[in-house]
Amino acid sequence: MSLIEIADVAFTYAAQPGVRALDGVSCAIERGSFVGITGPADAGKTSLCRLIAGYIPHLFDGELSGEVVVDGAPTRRVPVEELAGKVGYVFENPFDQLTGASLTVLEEVAFALENMGLPREEIERRAWESMRLMGIDHLADRHPMRLSGGQSQRVAIASVLAMRPEILLLDEPTSQLDPVGAEEVFETVLRLHQQGLTVIMVSQDLERLSRYADRLLVMRGGRIVLEGEPREVLGRALASGLPLVMPVPAAVGWQLRQVEAVPVSRPLPLTVEEAAAEIEGVLQAGGSDLRAVDPVREGRSGEPQVRLEGVSFSYGGQVRALEDVSLEMDAGCVCILGQNGSGKTTLMKHLNGLLKPSSGRVLVRGEDTRDHRVAHLARHVALAFQNPDDQLFRSSVEREVRFGAENMGFPPEEAEKLVERALDLLQLRDVRHRKPYDLGLSWRKRVAIASVLTMASPVVVLDEPTGGQDAEGIQLLGALVEHLVGEGKLVVVVTHDVEFAAEHADRAIALHAGRVLLDGGPREVFAQAEVLARTHVHPPAALLIGQRLGLAPLPLTPQELLAAVGIARQR
Amino acid sequence: MLEYVQGDSFLHRLNPVTKLVVATCLVVATFLMPGFAPSLVVALLLLACAWLAGVAGRAIRPTLSILAPLAIALLLIQGMFYPGRQTPVVTVGPITFWREGLLYALTFTCRIAVIILAFLLLMLTTHPKALSVALVQRGMSPKLAYVFLASLQFIPEMQRRALIISEAQQARGLDTRANLWRRLGSLTVMLVPLIAGALIAAETRFLALEARGFGRKGQRTSLLEVPDGGVDRLLRWAAPALLLLLIAWKVVA
Repeated sequence: MSLIEIADVAFTYAAQPGVRALDGVSCAIERGSFVGITGPADAGKTSLCRLIAGYIPHLFDGELSGEVVVDGAPTRRVPVEELAGKVGYVFENPFDQLTGASLTVLEEVAFALENMGLPREEIERRAWESMRLMGIDHLADRHPMRLSGGQSQRVAIASVLAMRPEILLLDEPTSQLDPVGAEEVFETVLRLHQQGLTVIMVSQDLERLSRYADRLLVMRGGRIVLEGEPREVLGRALASGLPLVMPVPAAVGWQLRQVEAVPVSRPLPLTVEEAAAEIEGVLQAGGSDLRAVDPVREGRSGEPQVRLEGVSFSYGGQVRALEDVSLEMDAGCVCILGQNGSGKTTLMKHLNGLLKPSSGRVLVRGEDTRDHRVAHLARHVALAFQNPDDQLFRSSVEREVRFGAENMGFPPEEAEKLVERALDLLQLRDVRHRKPYDLGLSWRKRVAIASVLTMASPVVVLDEPTGGQDAEGIQLLGALVEHLVGEGKLVVVVTHDVEFAAEHADRAIALHAGRVLLDGGPREVFAQAEVLARTHVHPPAALLIGQRLGLAPLPLTPQELLAAVGIARQR
Repeated sequence: MLEYVQGDSFLHRLNPVTKLVVATCLVVATFLMPGFAPSLVVALLLLACAWLAGVAGRAIRPTLSILAPLAIALLLIQGMFYPGRQTPVVTVGPITFWREGLLYALTFTCRIAVIILAFLLLMLTTHPKALSVALVQRGMSPKLAYVFLASLQFIPEMQRRALIISEAQQARGLDTRANLWRRLGSLTVMLVPLIAGALIAAETRFLALEARGFGRKGQRTSLLEVPDGGVDRLLRWAAPALLLLLIAWKVVA
């Protein structure tokens, strides 16, 4: 018998009648396996997690049919607090899932053990053991709310691990982390799996998930639509055009199979090395020739919209968040890259005067930000913050989107036009009368971005726009950036998403320790992998494959890579 | 902030419930004793304790920042307008300060000082978790204890988010210095995301607490050992007894 058996389960939340969150789901999960779950937004991934942990039906009201058995016991008949000892459940937001009642990491990790009523010595022993396992024992005395996202997420894992569960269930544990934090979490989870723990992990990060998991489930519309060995599942997903954020090596490998340069039966490549080796094989077999990439993009130039002159800034303390930064930005898409703490957010807040430089000055369309209020500078620079829940407040999407236009004081007809255009650009027409908070997070994010577009400012700044978006959302945002750039706007994108930057940036700026580390065209910036490593930015996969093949100029995207090796992309 | 300061002084070593009982008795007692002298003595004793416990610096600043404006206002207003005024002390032009008013203001200030210092010492020398563990050991519900602990962190968290929301809304063009009508409107601009965000966070936290077996019934234990020695029992017995004596003396006298 399998560790988890789910038989023909359907579930409808009482709060959303008529919508089946889970629809005919059946699967079995074996002891000791690592199962990855992926799929677009609202596909039912979180509901499946809640089902396994018994939260459905115990904590969420609704209509449930079918049977779920965990470790021999039907979850309907086991209370959640008892199941918690078997299924360690870790959530997406690293801070909201802390108890909020602990002053130290040790207390946080011990919390579950106190609830279990274990003797003090046993609590101490298990808490330390679990912290060591997650590599956070050196943080034992730190305040849990003052950690980095990656550290905090590892504290969350440690605190459920202390209960010694048989299953570790993680629902998008890395989507709100920077690449360094995501790597920390993936590595520790992999180590736990290697020690025999059963792992179930929901993630959009297929690049890592498909390498680590021994089985991959793809969900869509409340169903499991694909299931199997990761390489094979990715191949089938590509063949059926499922909207997934495909790892570049797999996407490139699939194109090679489409033109029959590689036998279709061969498993897809998952790493840069595998993809490069495959292309090399094709080239040696004479199936294709190496060609020069036409640099598709050219730098756009014009009057500087934003100019930073020797800008330094510190938040009260001694640490300089920005150190003598001088930049000019005129037009096109400028992507700002760098690890957390490198100064990206501080730089971003200088662009519309939310922060004023401690020394040096910032000129926005010729106006010194020190002389003007944010409300005035907003006419020039619209800025969409990362978390939509820090801003949405109106009762319908349409009214929320109008907020930007209203603040600019546009006459009603003009405001109406701007609202319609923003709704179109972010494909919000169908939900215009819905309440923003009834929509999923990826939709709320689109609403927040639409609302700053109605300010009709010549400069648009987007903070991590692709974070938490599925493949369709990322594509939509890419099209949006291209559209705005086409209108002659300066679009500044602060992002960890190098594939997005490779696709859309006209210029890339990498920050490190408050200074500009690299600044230039994305091709030249990403080519300097060793310098970028200092700020924990990995170059895009296509470029790394191109480097291994010795291509010049280097390709940035899969399309450029395939063009360079003489393989046209087929749709 | 008024956060726990780590240490190993005699105050740190006392049981949190003992400190709570003694602090309460001291406060009630100062209100029963006439004049400012007894309150002043207690306040000075508390300051000495703060010094011995190594938290004097952390205790004095917040005490003064509350007490100083209060004392000035009391001395001015009571000094000039105290209803039972009889004995003039100083006259500056048309303004006269009266002895009775000044004494009343002084007494009141000293009593407030005792309240602030007594509870400040409790907070500065007591790990919040220890206080909640000690209260649970005395029969308080563990859920209530959790609410007490979580609420301590709730306020700084809300302040942090309010700042982010204010920035996010200004970045969307909100004018925070516009006319009154707009500013009233901007209250919902701030409050709705603050509440919505708090609710979203609360849902996650509720689910995460369940994942840590918070819903479990039966005996709970604690990582933290809360000492409860002979001195504690003596103080917890003596402080209310002395207070009762004081009340009896007040009634008789």
